[in-house]
Amino acid sequence: MTADHALPELDPVIHAQARLRVMVTLNTLADGDEIAFPVLKDLLGMTAGNLSVHLSKLEEAAYVHIIKTHKGRTPITFVALTKRGRLALEDYTTAIRALLDSAGGTS
Amino acid sequence: MTDDGEQAPAPEDTLRLMEEQRAATVRALRGDPLLLYGPWGVAWLLGFGAFFLHYGLDGVPYAPISWAQAMSVLMCGLLVAGGVAAFGIVRMTGVIRGGTAAKGAMFGYTWFAGMVLMSVIAAHFSPMLPDHQAGLLWSSIALMLVAVLYMAGGAIYHNWPMFFVGVWIAAVNALGVILGPGWHALLAAVLLGGGQIAVAFWLRRRT
Repeated sequence: MTADHALPELDPVIHAQARLRVMVTLNTLADGDEIAFPVLKDLLGMTAGNLSVHLSKLEEAAYVHIIKTHKGRTPITFVALTKRGRLALEDYTTAIRALLDSAGGTS
Repeated sequence: MTDDGEQAPAPEDTLRLMEEQRAATVRALRGDPLLLYGPWGVAWLLGFGAFFLHYGLDGVPYAPISWAQAMSVLMCGLLVAGGVAAFGIVRMTGVIRGGTAAKGAMFGYTWFAGMVLMSVIAAHFSPMLPDHQAGLLWSSIALMLVAVLYMAGGAIYHNWPMFFVGVWIAAVNALGVILGPGWHALLAAVLLGGGQIAVAFWLRRRT
């Protein structure tokens, strides 16, 4: 990328389309809410394996918090955005808008 | 390029993707407005419609429907609507946990407590009133409770349409009580029952 020096850097962890969709979906939840993994998988139309890979990358960056628990005897996983994740998505959105403005694109 | 090696989309495509994903998620998690508002609208339209035919506007019934029959129509409608709402709540359990789930549970119990308290109060006072006024007491305090809880629900979930539906119910209810049992039933059937159905379709088109 031959980015102009004035242009903001885009967070490479979020910039992958699949992970951006994961982040946006989790960001619609209220602060302190967690979503069940199978529901998130269906909302995104991803396979469990695919979503797991993306979630581990996001967890490495400390953007998501993964909670493994039990409902009765069935193991169930919940996922939530961390504060850091929310801020990162906010920064990413600001950066994308700035990029659009500098390109003179229509908004 | 992203760190996965995929081609980076243009900024406007990225923003559109984000908005589409956000809208789809909200739609999936909030439930279909048609199922949220529609069944209550149908129950009120049929139930209060039956009461209107029973009372008539000047005290002369428009159709041979007894008070008990009108009450059965309203109650059946409300049971079906309550069943649909309960199904929606059950479907959402285990989907999200945290603050929102706790709010939902407390709000659900608030509705239940309100309905029980309303029944105790109305059952105590209605035998002391003439039939028409007893019917008006039941329907007006039921609608008062619904109006206040919709407004409170709007505050809890930061949902303006829900809040304004509550304001609308409160206003129609007050006007109906002033005008008398026949008018109250007519206004509740058309403006509240019909209104809920209209709101259901409008909200669905908007989302």
